[in-house]
Amino acid sequence: VSAGRIFTGAEIADLPSVEVDFVVVGSGAGGATAAAVLAAAGARVAVLEEGGHYTRRDFNMQESWAYPALYQEHGNRATDDLSILILQGRSVGGGTTVNWTSSFRTPERTLALWAGKHGLSGLDAATLAPHFDVVEKRIDVGTGDPDDVNNNNRKLQEGAAKLGWQPQLIHRSVKGCARLGYCGMGCPLDAKRTSRTTFLADAVAAGANVYADCRARLVETDRDRARAVVADVLDRASDRPRGRFVAYARRGVVLAGGAINSPALLLRSKAGTGSGQVGRRTFLHPTVPLIAFYDQPIEGFYGAPQSVAVHHFADRGERVGYFFETPPIHPMLAGLAVPGFGDTHRKIIERLPYAQATIALLIDGHHDDEGGTVEAGGDGRIKLHYPLSASLREAAVAALGDMARLQLAAGAREVMTLHETPLVLRSEADLGAIAAAPFGPNRHTMFSAHQMGGAAMGADPNRSVVDARGRHHQFENLWIADGSVFPTSLGVNPQLSVYALAHLFAAEIARAG
Amino acid sequence: VRPSEEPVALDRRRFLRRGLFGGALLVFAGSLPFVFRTTRRGSTPHAPLKLLSADEHAVLAAVAARIVPGDGADTRWPRAEALDCAGKVDALMATVHPDVGRDFRRLLRLCESGFVGLLTAGSPRPFTRAEPVEQDARLEAWRRSRFALLRSGYQALKRLAHAAYYSSPEVYPLIGYPGPPVVPQPPAGTP
Repeated sequence: VSAGRIFTGAEIADLPSVEVDFVVVGSGAGGATAAAVLAAAGARVAVLEEGGHYTRRDFNMQESWAYPALYQEHGNRATDDLSILILQGRSVGGGTTVNWTSSFRTPERTLALWAGKHGLSGLDAATLAPHFDVVEKRIDVGTGDPDDVNNNNRKLQEGAAKLGWQPQLIHRSVKGCARLGYCGMGCPLDAKRTSRTTFLADAVAAGANVYADCRARLVETDRDRARAVVADVLDRASDRPRGRFVAYARRGVVLAGGAINSPALLLRSKAGTGSGQVGRRTFLHPTVPLIAFYDQPIEGFYGAPQSVAVHHFADRGERVGYFFETPPIHPMLAGLAVPGFGDTHRKIIERLPYAQATIALLIDGHHDDEGGTVEAGGDGRIKLHYPLSASLREAAVAALGDMARLQLAAGAREVMTLHETPLVLRSEADLGAIAAAPFGPNRHTMFSAHQMGGAAMGADPNRSVVDARGRHHQFENLWIADGSVFPTSLGVNPQLSVYALAHLFAAEIARAG
Repeated sequence: VRPSEEPVALDRRRFLRRGLFGGALLVFAGSLPFVFRTTRRGSTPHAPLKLLSADEHAVLAAVAARIVPGDGADTRWPRAEALDCAGKVDALMATVHPDVGRDFRRLLRLCESGFVGLLTAGSPRPFTRAEPVEQDARLEAWRRSRFALLRSGYQALKRLAHAAYYSSPEVYPLIGYPGPPVVPQPPAGTP
C-alpha cells in the first residue's frame, strides 16, 4: 500500500471530489482511530478536518496564536448566553492537539448507569478493556509519575491528603515529556501523544488521505444509506469558504467531529433527526474554578498542567457529583477567568505567580439534569443552549466550599472566588459566604473542556441516535465515533474513552461497512 | 426611538432563553441608526480594519481602554491603545461566523448609545464622549445587570479586551510571567 498524505485547503482547490470506501469526518481521538483501523483493514479512507494542519514547529506556546489557531470558533466558542466558555480543539489532531493529557478509562459506575437507566447493553468494562489496552499502548499512557506534580498540582494533592480525600496521580499520554506546561497550546516537542502523531500517522501510512481546512457542511443520504459528505474548503487566513469538496463513500461514513459538531452536522443535513434526540442531552462537565493565593510562588504556568485528580465527591448519592483537577495558569486564560475590569482586575492578575487554581468538574447528566441543546442553522452557525439546573447549582456551590476547604488545608493565605464580586475567604468561618453569594449564568466564571453527548447510544431509536457500536439507527452505513455518543457525561476526562470507543466501533465498521 | 423598543420593556424570559446571540436586544440595537453620528474617534486604527467600521472601532477602543488596566492608577501597565487591543479584536472577529460578527457590531452600537446609557446607568452621552468614571459606571451596570442579556454583552466585551491584552508579551513582565521557555528546534528533515 502506498502511503497517503495530509492535504491543506490550498492544495485541494483543484480537486473537487474523491471517492473512497470510508469518509471520516474529524481527525481527533475518534476520527484518527477509526481511520487507522479501517485503513489497516485495507479500506480506502478520506479524513476531512475543518481545522488547519500544524506541527510542533508551529507551536510557539503563545496564547495569542494558539487559541485562535487550535480551538473551535477561534477560542470564542461558548454557550449562547456566553456563561460557559467552551474549550474544544480544532486542527489536524482535533482535541488531542490541545488536550492536557489526562487519561482515564470510563468509570464502571458510569457504564452501569448507561446499562441501567439508558438501556444500553453490550458495553461493559470487559468489552472495552482490550480496546483500552490497545489505545493506551499507542498513545503511551503512563501509570502516574510523582515527578509530574508541579506546585499547582502539589497544593491539590496536599490539601486533599490532609482532608482524607484520596488524591490520585493522573495517568498521562506522554513520551519524553519535559513538563513545559503548554499542552493546551500544542506540544512543541511532540512529547504529548496526540492523534496526529499516533493513529492519524498510522492511517496515513496505511494509505489514508487527510484533507485539512475542509469543514463538513452536509451528509448526503439516500434512503437508508449515507453516500457522501459535502465540505467547504476554508481559506486558512480568513476561515471563509473558498471552494467546495465532495467525498463520496462507497462503504460508509464515520462522523467524529466531536460533541456539538457531529450533532450539528446531522441537524444541518436534516439526516435522521426525526426522533428529536439529535443535539439533545449535550453535556459539558461544567467547570467551576477557584483560586487561592500562597506566600510562596506557585508558577502554575509551568509544569505538567494536570497530574493530580480528586474523585472523593464524584458520587454524592442523590446530588450531582464532582471531581477536582487543576488548570494551567497562563495570562490570557487567567485574564478571562478573573472577573471585573480595570484596576480591580489588575490587582488580582498581578499576583498570578502566587495563585493556585483548582477546578471542580460537575458530573452532568447522571441525575435529573438534561444537559444542553445544540441548534444548527443552514448557514453553518452552531448554538448551544445550556441551562444550569438547580441540581447543578447546588453542586457548584458545594464544590466551591470543598475546594476552599482544600486550599486552606494546603496552606493558602487566602482563597478568592470568581463570582462577579469575588469573595475572599481566609478561614473555615468565612465559608458560609459562598452559599449566600449569587451563583448563575455570568455571575460566576464557568468553562468546559469536556464536550459529550448530543447523539447518544441506546437500543431505543426514540430515545437515542446510534446503537452500542455507534451505528445510526436509521442509516445502515453511518456511524458516529466521538464523544457525542455518550448518554451522559463520564465523570472523568473523556479523551481516552473516545479513543477506545472509536477503536471498538471501527472493528465493527470494517466488517459491516 | 419609540418607548416600545426599550430593552427593559422586552420580554425578559425571551432574553434568558435566547441569550446574547440572536437576542432581541441586538436586533433592537440594529435599529439605532444615528448612534454613530456623534461618535468620537479617539484613536486611529493601527492597520486597515477587517470587520469593523471606523466608528465601531472607536467604540471598541474606548471600551477596551476601561476594561484593561492601562488607564488606571498604576502607570507601568501599557494602555489598550498601545497594544492595539481594538485592532486585535477586529482581526479575530473577522474570522468568526459572519452572523457572530454582525451581532458583535450591533453590541458596539448598543454600547455607544446614549439612550441605552441613560436607561442602564443614567449616562445620556455616547460612550465615546462620556467621562471615564461614567464609562466605568455603564460597564458596571451591564456587568451587574439583572438582565441576562446585558451581562452577556458585558462579558463579550470584557473577555475580548482581556484576551487581546493579556496575550500580549508586553504585559508578561508586569504579571511576573517569564514567558514560554526556549525549546530546541526539531532537527532538520524531521516532521
